[in-house]
Amino acid sequence: MLSTALSTRGLSRHLAFAIGFFMIACCASMSATVGAERSRERPAPLPRVSEKDVAEVATEIDRLLSEELFGDATEVAEATDDVNFLRRVSLDLIGELPSPESITAFTLDSSPEKRSRATHGLLENRLFGQNWARYWRDVIMYRRNDERALLASTSLVVYLTKQFNQGAPWDKIARELITAKGNILQEGSTGLIAAQWGEVPDTAAEVSRILMGIQIQCAQCHDHPTDRWKREQFHSFAAFFPRIAVRPIRNTNGMRRGFELVSRERQRRRPGQGNARKKKKKPKDNTGPEHYMPDLKEPTARGTLMEPQFFVTGQTLETDISDEQRRERLARWITSRNDPWFAKAFINRIWAELVGEGFYEPVDDLGPDRECSAPGAMDLLAEQFVAHAYDVKWLYATIVQTKAYQRDSKVRRSYEGTPFVANCPQRLRSDQLFNALTTALDIPEPPASRRGRVRRGLQGPRAEIARIFGYDPSNPRDEVIGAIDQALMLMNSPNLDRGMRSTKKTVLGRLLREIDDDESIAMELYLRCLAREPEDAELETCLDYVHEVGDRNEAFEDILWALVNSTEFLYRD
Amino acid sequence: MSIHVHRRTHVTIGRGQTLRRRDFLRGVSASALAAGSLSWSDVLASESEPLRKRGMACILLWMQGGPSQFETFSPKPDHENGGETKAIGTSVPGIHIADRFPKVAQVMDHVAVVRSMTSTEGNHQRASFLLHTGYAPTASVKHPAFGSAVSHQIGDVTSQLPSFVRIGQRFVNAGGGGFLGSDYDPFVMAKARELPANAQPTTSTERFRRRLNLLDRLEDHASEEHLRKQIEDHHKLYAKSARMITSAEMRAFDLTREPEPIREAYGEGDFAAGCLLARRLVEAGVTFVEVTVGNWDTHNDVFPRTRELAGQVDQPFAQLIGDLEQRGMLDSTLVVWMGEFGRTPRINPRAGRDHYPKAFNVALAGGGVRGGQIIGETNPAGTQVIDRPVKVPDLFQSFCQSLKIDASTENMSSIGRPIKIVDGGQAVGELFS
Repeated sequence: MLSTALSTRGLSRHLAFAIGFFMIACCASMSATVGAERSRERPAPLPRVSEKDVAEVATEIDRLLSEELFGDATEVAEATDDVNFLRRVSLDLIGELPSPESITAFTLDSSPEKRSRATHGLLENRLFGQNWARYWRDVIMYRRNDERALLASTSLVVYLTKQFNQGAPWDKIARELITAKGNILQEGSTGLIAAQWGEVPDTAAEVSRILMGIQIQCAQCHDHPTDRWKREQFHSFAAFFPRIAVRPIRNTNGMRRGFELVSRERQRRRPGQGNARKKKKKPKDNTGPEHYMPDLKEPTARGTLMEPQFFVTGQTLETDISDEQRRERLARWITSRNDPWFAKAFINRIWAELVGEGFYEPVDDLGPDRECSAPGAMDLLAEQFVAHAYDVKWLYATIVQTKAYQRDSKVRRSYEGTPFVANCPQRLRSDQLFNALTTALDIPEPPASRRGRVRRGLQGPRAEIARIFGYDPSNPRDEVIGAIDQALMLMNSPNLDRGMRSTKKTVLGRLLREIDDDESIAMELYLRCLAREPEDAELETCLDYVHEVGDRNEAFEDILWALVNSTEFLYRD
Repeated sequence: MSIHVHRRTHVTIGRGQTLRRRDFLRGVSASALAAGSLSWSDVLASESEPLRKRGMACILLWMQGGPSQFETFSPKPDHENGGETKAIGTSVPGIHIADRFPKVAQVMDHVAVVRSMTSTEGNHQRASFLLHTGYAPTASVKHPAFGSAVSHQIGDVTSQLPSFVRIGQRFVNAGGGGFLGSDYDPFVMAKARELPANAQPTTSTERFRRRLNLLDRLEDHASEEHLRKQIEDHHKLYAKSARMITSAEMRAFDLTREPEPIREAYGEGDFAAGCLLARRLVEAGVTFVEVTVGNWDTHNDVFPRTRELAGQVDQPFAQLIGDLEQRGMLDSTLVVWMGEFGRTPRINPRAGRDHYPKAFNVALAGGGVRGGQIIGETNPAGTQVIDRPVKVPDLFQSFCQSLKIDASTENMSSIGRPIKIVDGGQAVGELFS
């Protein structure tokens, strides 16, 4: 049977966790009792609460953060100004810079509601879905175990874009990711499993890590060193996936190869099974593959047959049931309120992207024996996210509405510093950077070629930027740093250079033709590139520079080059 | 000329040669102890001599995905776990390696194989980090890649080229400068056969410099206090990049400058080009070059797939050793062949082998390593090490010994804790005797 013995460390965390719940339950006038006894066995399910609106929850979160984290002496950053808010929220929600026109309009708007109105507008923009689809593609694909999995990249983005834009709830999306089948080039929901190319332990590990923030894969070979997971728990979880497989397919013309994610309900006989198998009992005919936990002392043995069991809730299935049933049941269990990690893992990631730091760091390592920096606020968000039926846009609107989100940015806190006293500068993800470059310089993204459609997302300028500037969003963000090839691309790329010249068709060329006043041109370039006006000293430097160079066109080409190559261009702050 | 690098004091010797004061003093006391009584000028002479020559260097041939020990340097043809892979003789009587490496077999007298590597990390991300840094990943300390630590210790600060270069498509969790800072991040090239992309300024050099200067002026008075650290790093990165691309040493990247017969000797393919480029870069003053070849993660069809992979690796690996030797560079260049772990002795139902960190192999050549020897042994089934287990810190201690780096040197991590280059372990003495 499962052993879920707790270390004393784990126990105290867990009690704190239960107390956190209790506190919230009181706040919400609920009469939920969370017995310490029960919580020793399993995490407490998220309680049923009534839904509250965005403003109410945002206020409550700020109150809880202040209560849980900020002492009297804590210095909390000021609210950021409108101009910076607009750049930040645009990059965060739709992955784009705001246009110079919208910056002006937003600044002039005197309505106190303008920030939430702008947020709402961005959430309804079709680029919202695309921006976050690309984020999840990166989360999934950076940990692929097979290069061929990239063939699912484009369909995954198309699928997720549609889901996010249509307001599909996160639990529905997650269930589809877990139960997906079909051609990986067409069925984008296959992406999560295709990324592990049918490998059973890797699939189990990634489903747990990405959807629940639980690093149970560490228990694959030994009991988890720093967490409570046991080997049996990993392998009984892996037993939900032994019948998945990725197989090659051909189109009707027999020409192009594709791959499909299928269920394997029969044991396949392979010539390569080798002598090692001969002495063992033959598997019964007509029974599908099962998962066996290897015997560490005797690696040549087949190991122990594992029954599928979900380690969070303890729910089990028998062996010898179909792949479809296994994955469907698991999908339901993972997305139920009995599994609090599911909601929290999503919230933690989105919060970290928006506020600059997760409640848990790294963002994909939540528990159970990990420290949450503000459990009260996290629990409130989790309960309300569930009460709102995993409404993704609701979550974004709520986080953006908090003071925690809208503060000025400060240097990333040190290990001992207080969390969430400020927002935190984040390096743009490669797609945000690509969008910022093409928007600032008004370079259209070339349409994908015919061949490129199949491999779209793997070739072309966007993919080029991704190769050089891309990073795994699950890695700690302070480890994302500049590299020589990045500097070289921004300094010397011939494609970017064409966009920065003062020729007939470029942005700069048009500005120079239409505007005589150098100050206005400098203003315009700052607005386009950095989504703000230059400060006095910056403006002065620009005008001095134009004077020094003598050639107006050449000077502004250089200024545009400097803005695109500036540190600020690479960060959202 | 005195150059200030990474907040350390330097003393200057000769033409632009710098030496860290700390290392210098250590060197003096060690020599003085050894010799009993040396005058200051004697010490200076003895210490500065090796500095004028090219220093030690390391080329890491990284087999991403975890190469099977059975199909590389530890074949077990007499056991069912060995599968269909045969063993072949080598230039050293008594030493047999997998039949997929006939060319390496010919230079076996330069190669030492450790067959008794053992670790506990069986996950790609974690194991790759471990075998790149010597440390398991932790959330609180960003350990630098060994290549970064080496370039921090013995990188040639007078070279315009980056002292740490990585060549190949994709590096899984291989670490970077870590807490040593972005100065020690590797320069990454996707393909050896192409010149570094965007290395040519789009304007005249003069205007390029003027632009860089304008960038500095604009960023100097940026009021962005919260981006101060990033702006500093950005500035250093741009200065370094600009110096590199305007230097004559960029020629080293151009493989077409290499005589045809030599290019042919390395063979075809990206990995072959990577090995040749590695040699050219080391010649030009780069201290650490990592060349990667992927897809060793053979969970299925291990036999044909390793045959194909070995086909990419065998000739360039052998030629690299031969070429370095011919140029008199082998003694000062450590060549390491390894991946993140080995593969299961049992052949799985998909005719593949799964992850197996418990017993795997690593091959070394050059850098003072005595070739033609096998270190350690596994049982006939290959399931466990039965002689001379070598753990990851032992291996990294050995790298340090070869590169003449003091592995106990402490660097300050970002959380204010001093961290040794290698923590624990002992160099494998047999490698150097």
